[in-house]
Amino acid sequence: MNIGVIKAYILKEFKELIRTRMIFIVYAIPIIVIVLFGYGIKLDVTHSRVLIIDNDQSKLSRELIEKFKHSKYFNATELNISESKALKLIKQAKKDAVIIIPNSFEKRLIKNQKVNIGVFIDGSFPNRARTIENYIEGVIIDDLQSYAPKTSISTNVININPRSLFNQAMRDEDAIVPGLIGFVLLVAPAVLSALLIVKEKEEGTIFNFYASPISKEDFLIAKLTPPFILHSLNIFILFLIAVYLFNVPFRGSFTLYWFSSELYILISLAIGLLVSVVTRSQIVALVLTVVITVLPGFLYSGMIMPISSMSQESYIEAHMFPVMYYNHIIYDTFLIGEGLNSRKIILYLIILTIYASVLFILGRLFLKKELKK
Amino acid sequence: MIKVFLSIVTKELLDFLRSWGLVVLVLYSFTLDVYIAGGGMQIEPRNVSVGYVDYTGGGISQKILSHLHEPEFLTPKMFLSQRELSKAIFNKEIMVGIIFDQEFEKNYRNKKEATIDVLLDATAASQSFTTLSYLQNIVLNFSKLNIPIDIDIHKLFNPNSDEHSFMALSELLSVITMLSILLPAIVFVREKEEGTWDIMLLMPINPKITILAKSFSQVIIIVAGVMITVGLVLFNGFNLPMNGSFLAFLLLTFFYAFTSAGIGLFIASVSKSMMQTAQLSMLIMMPLIFLSGAWTPVYAMHPILEKLSLLSPLRYYIEGCESIFFRGTDFVDLWHYFAGVLILGSILYWYGFRKIGKLF
Repeated sequence: MNIGVIKAYILKEFKELIRTRMIFIVYAIPIIVIVLFGYGIKLDVTHSRVLIIDNDQSKLSRELIEKFKHSKYFNATELNISESKALKLIKQAKKDAVIIIPNSFEKRLIKNQKVNIGVFIDGSFPNRARTIENYIEGVIIDDLQSYAPKTSISTNVININPRSLFNQAMRDEDAIVPGLIGFVLLVAPAVLSALLIVKEKEEGTIFNFYASPISKEDFLIAKLTPPFILHSLNIFILFLIAVYLFNVPFRGSFTLYWFSSELYILISLAIGLLVSVVTRSQIVALVLTVVITVLPGFLYSGMIMPISSMSQESYIEAHMFPVMYYNHIIYDTFLIGEGLNSRKIILYLIILTIYASVLFILGRLFLKKELKK
Repeated sequence: MIKVFLSIVTKELLDFLRSWGLVVLVLYSFTLDVYIAGGGMQIEPRNVSVGYVDYTGGGISQKILSHLHEPEFLTPKMFLSQRELSKAIFNKEIMVGIIFDQEFEKNYRNKKEATIDVLLDATAASQSFTTLSYLQNIVLNFSKLNIPIDIDIHKLFNPNSDEHSFMALSELLSVITMLSILLPAIVFVREKEEGTWDIMLLMPINPKITILAKSFSQVIIIVAGVMITVGLVLFNGFNLPMNGSFLAFLLLTFFYAFTSAGIGLFIASVSKSMMQTAQLSMLIMMPLIFLSGAWTPVYAMHPILEKLSLLSPLRYYIEGCESIFFRGTDFVDLWHYFAGVLILGSILYWYGFRKIGKLF
C-alpha cells in the first residue's frame, strides 16, 4: 500500500471524470430512469379499450354499458357496427376487446332464459388478455347480481375482501420504485467502470501502469474509488426521489438500506471491472456489460415477474445475478421493515458479500501487469 | 458510387467478423438470450403459496379451496389462527392468506352476502393482482351457476395464452434495439476517437455515402441476426404463430434497424469518446426499451409519457410486429408503423449528416 501513489491516481481519475463531463451523466442516468420508469410502468391493467355493441337497446343493456363506462379499468365506447367490422378494429390494434350484447337480452333475462354474451379479446399480450377477461366477467356478473331480486334469479353472493399487507393501497409505485433502485444501481456503476481499464489498454496508456511501481491492488483501489464515491451519492438521491416524489413508505432501517446499497454498488463496479480486465476492446466491453446487466437487471428484479414463478432455467439464472438478493432487502426496508430480524435478509447480505469478494478476487487475478504475449 | 458504398460495407463487415468477441456476443444475444427469456419467463402466477384459516368447519370453504390447484397454486396450507397466518406471510413463506370467518357459511346458505377475507403480500404486486383475479373468478363461478348467463369468451390470435412465444418476441425486440443502437454508435465513435474519421471526410467521397454505408453494414448484421432468431428460436423453439406476411416483418425490421442506427449516429455525433457514448446510449436505450409498450401498454401510461413515446421508433416497431405475428393485420393497415419509423429515421439521419458529415 502506497498511500501517496494511490492519492495521486485517485486525483487523476477524478479530474478525468469531471473534465469529460462524465460526472453529469453519472447522476443523470439514475434520476431519469427512476422518474420515467416510475411513471411509465404500470402493473394493473387500466383503461383497456373496450367496444360494446348493443343489439338490444333496452334499459338493462344500457345500464350494463354504463357500468363499463364508469369503471376505471375500461375506456368503453358504444358503437353500432357489424361484428366483422368490430373484429377488424381489434386486428388493427385499435381496440382490446369487443363485447356483443344480443338483441333479446332483457327479455330473456327477465324470463330466466339463457343469455349469451359474446366477448372477443385481443390475445396477443397473454397476461393482459387474461386480466381483461377476468375484469369483463366481473363487471357483467356484478351488474346482473344487482338485478337478482327484480328478475327472480336466486343468487348466492360471495364477496372477496382483499387486504394487502405492506402496500395497502396496492399502488404501482410502491411495487415498482424500490425495484428500480436495484436495477439502476446495477447498470449505471457497471457501465462506468467497465471502460475504465480497457480504455487505457486501447489507448496504450496502460503502459504507465505496467511501468510504474504501483501494485495491482493499489491500482484497482485507485481506479474504483472515484466511481464508488460518485455513485454513493446516488443512494441518497434515489432514496429521496422514492420517498418524496413517489411517496413510497419507508418502514425499515436506513442504515440497512445504506449499507446494503454500498455493498451492491461495489458488486456492480466489480462486474464492470471484471469485464474491463478480460476484454481487449472498448466495444466488446460495452456490449458485454449491457448484455449482462440491462436485461437481467430488469427481468430478474422481481418487478415484473416474481422469481418464485419462474421455471427451471430462468429460476437458476435469476439466482446467478445479484439483483434478486439486493431487491429482496430493498423491498423489505421500504415496505416491510423486518430488517435484520429476518434470517433470509442476513443470508442474502452474506451472499452479496461473498459475491463482491469473489468478483474482486477474480478481477485481481486476471489483471496483468505485463504485456501479454 | 455504388462501388465505394459496397467497399465500405465490406470493410465494416470484415471488421466485425474479425473481432470474434463481438461476434460471439451478438450471436449469444440473438439465440440463447432470447431462448432463455422465452423459455422461463412467466408473468402468470405459478407455485403461489396459499395459506388459510377456516373457522367454518369445512363445506363451502373446502370446495372453494379445491379450485386452487397446480401449477398456479401450491396445495393450500392450513393455519390455526389468523395470527399464525400473518406471521407466515411476514416471513414470505405464504403469499396469499384466505380467512373464512364463522359467519361465512351461514350467510352463504341464507343467501346473504358472504365475505371472504384475503390477505395479500403486495410486495409482489404483479402476482397479487393476478392471484386476486383468479380468486375472484373462482368465486364468480360459484355464484354464476345460478344466473342464466353465458359469457362466451373468444381470445383471438393467441387462444391458449401462450406466454413463451410472446416473451421471446419481446426479448428479441429488446435485443434488436440494443444492438442496432450500440453497434453503429460504436463504429462511428471509434473512428472519431482514433482520428480516422477526419481522414474519411477528407477523401473525395461524399460523406453521406460513407455514413449510409457504415450504417448499412451494421443493419445487415442485425437483420442477419434477426433471421437466425426468428427461424431457429421463435418458429422452431416456441411455435410463434405467423398470421401476417413475413415480408412485411422483414421490411419493417430493416427500416427499424436503420432508424435505430440513426439513433446510434446521433449518439456518436454528440459524444467525443467511447465513454460518453457508453453513458449516452444507456440514457437513451433504457427508456426506449422499457417504455415503448413491451411491458405496459402505451395508453395506460402517464399522459406526458404517452405523448413522448410517439418519439420512440420502437413503439411503432413493437406494435407493428405484434400486429404482423399475432393479429395478422393486412399490409395496408400497417402503413402508420412504417411511416412512424421512417419519419423518425429521416430526422435522425438529417441531423447526423449535418453534425458529423463535414469537417468544420
